[in-house]
Amino acid sequence: EMLDPIYSCNKELIEMLALSRSQKLPQPGEESQILELLVQRDGEFQELMRIAHEQGKVHQEMQLLEKEAEKRDTDIQQLQKQLKEAEHILATAVYQAKEKLKSIEKARKGSVSSEEVIKYAHRISASNAVCAPLNWVPGDPRRPYPTDLEMRSGRLGQMSNLSTNGVNGHLPGDALAAGRLPEVLTPQYPWQSGEMSLNMLPPNHSNDFMLEPPGHNKENEDDVEVMSTDSSSSSSDSD
Amino acid sequence: MAASPLKEEPAPEDCSLLPLVYDIIKCMDKDSPDVHQELNKLKTKIQEAREQIVTMPGIGLSPEQQKQQFENLKEQVRTKNELLQKYKSLCIFDIPKS
Repeated sequence: EMLDPIYSCNKELIEMLALSRSQKLPQPGEESQILELLVQRDGEFQELMRIAHEQGKVHQEMQLLEKEAEKRDTDIQQLQKQLKEAEHILATAVYQAKEKLKSIEKARKGSVSSEEVIKYAHRISASNAVCAPLNWVPGDPRRPYPTDLEMRSGRLGQMSNLSTNGVNGHLPGDALAAGRLPEVLTPQYPWQSGEMSLNMLPPNHSNDFMLEPPGHNKENEDDVEVMSTDSSSSSSDSD
Repeated sequence: MAASPLKEEPAPEDCSLLPLVYDIIKCMDKDSPDVHQELNKLKTKIQEAREQIVTMPGIGLSPEQQKQQFENLKEQVRTKNELLQKYKSLCIFDIPKS
């Protein structure tokens, strides 16, 4: 915007000078006016150029500041991402801790005496139902369940021996279920009187746990397996 | 601050056209044949000045506007630095001495 007036002034001055030279007509007034205007405009132009030069320096500094601001933005975004991740991890940890506390409280409320649990475990394992005896070898007839021999030597077996005289070797349970056993035999055994106890224990511990099998009824008494690993346990009841 | 100069800009005092005008007038007074050469020099100088002004950075805004923008940028950078410093040095949890 400044250059155009300067250009015009210069052009006008030179044209005037050229005209005055050719026409030999002195026109000092106008020439001085144009010269003064030219000098003034030149001064203004120089000032503007100086300001533009300064603005260029400021612009460079602003570019550096913008780069720094961008870098800070990146750092802030990175920090934000890390904080979100930390929040997620902490929230998960807190939730899991609360769940664990609930479980602990629940277990504390339903706590069982450890002695009782150990006693129960001892008695279960003492019958060799979970692990073979230390001296068991292949060929040993003992099993973790009542064997045929043990059943026959027990009360059911005795009932069977009595019943084979009249019922062709059928098991007492089959005979009773079929309703063919003599009545004199049926009411004589503990499980028929309704005080049934599953004899899981060695003889000296038989009274510690009294359990009733679900769905027990008189017709299936003989079908109930008496869980015993010792043949002495079933025979002891008959004594 | 080491600013890499993008373009070597002439000093503002070199932008004056008066010396060239003086040379032209002198040639006209002497009726020298170099008048046209001097006139061409003046024209070239004005053209160069125009081209230089177009490429000068940062003159799209007035000095006041540029200064305002510069202050805003400075404030922005300062705030972000403070924020980052604050959150990086923030320790929410008191770590018990074991």
